[in-house]
Amino acid sequence: MFLGRVAGTVWSTVKWPQAQGLKLLLVRPYRLGDLPPGAATTGSGGSVGSVGSPSEPTDDLVVCADTLDAGTGDDVIVAFGHAARVAVSEKLPPGSKPSVPIDAAVVAVVDRVEIPR
Amino acid sequence: MIRGTVIGHVWATRKARGLDGQTLLLVAARDAEGRTTGRLVVASDTLDARAGEDVTVAFGSGARNVLRPGPDNRDLLCDAAIAAIVEGAG
Repeated sequence: MFLGRVAGTVWSTVKWPQAQGLKLLLVRPYRLGDLPPGAATTGSGGSVGSVGSPSEPTDDLVVCADTLDAGTGDDVIVAFGHAARVAVSEKLPPGSKPSVPIDAAVVAVVDRVEIPR
Repeated sequence: MIRGTVIGHVWATRKARGLDGQTLLLVAARDAEGRTTGRLVVASDTLDARAGEDVTVAFGSGARNVLRPGPDNRDLLCDAAIAAIVEGAG
């Protein structure tokens, strides 16, 4: 999993049927220098902590499915691979195999990140 | 797996149900020389790792096996988990 900030949305009309209805977000991963020691931040522009918002994250964007209704500017946790399919298939019965054609999904909208000095 | 250092905690209340009860730590990856690479990983923690401690992080089914040894663990929502707290590397 990684921590990132939602940078925007992707939409498409031509896609596999299993992906119908899935919202897709663009998420930019945070890197080490984006979150200075002592940082404590909230996802949606909140004001927790002493140093305010971290600087803008800088890495490549990741396209991920979103079932938590995250929005641009939110800090989120993104899971890859099977964990991503489990997250978007949570309403399936136990033991059934998630078959959505995705490999990244938002699994949490972050309230707070705390990095002790 | 990768080696890294725990640098902090992440909290979230709005999350996938499969993440309920998991402790999520922020880990800074290190390269062969022990330098941080800049890459940050969010990993589930079952070993009570603390900020500043060096750890190994397993991914994929290896990570699920940390939370609950397989083979019947494909219902778990976990793609990265702290597998060991490192005491030394050379």
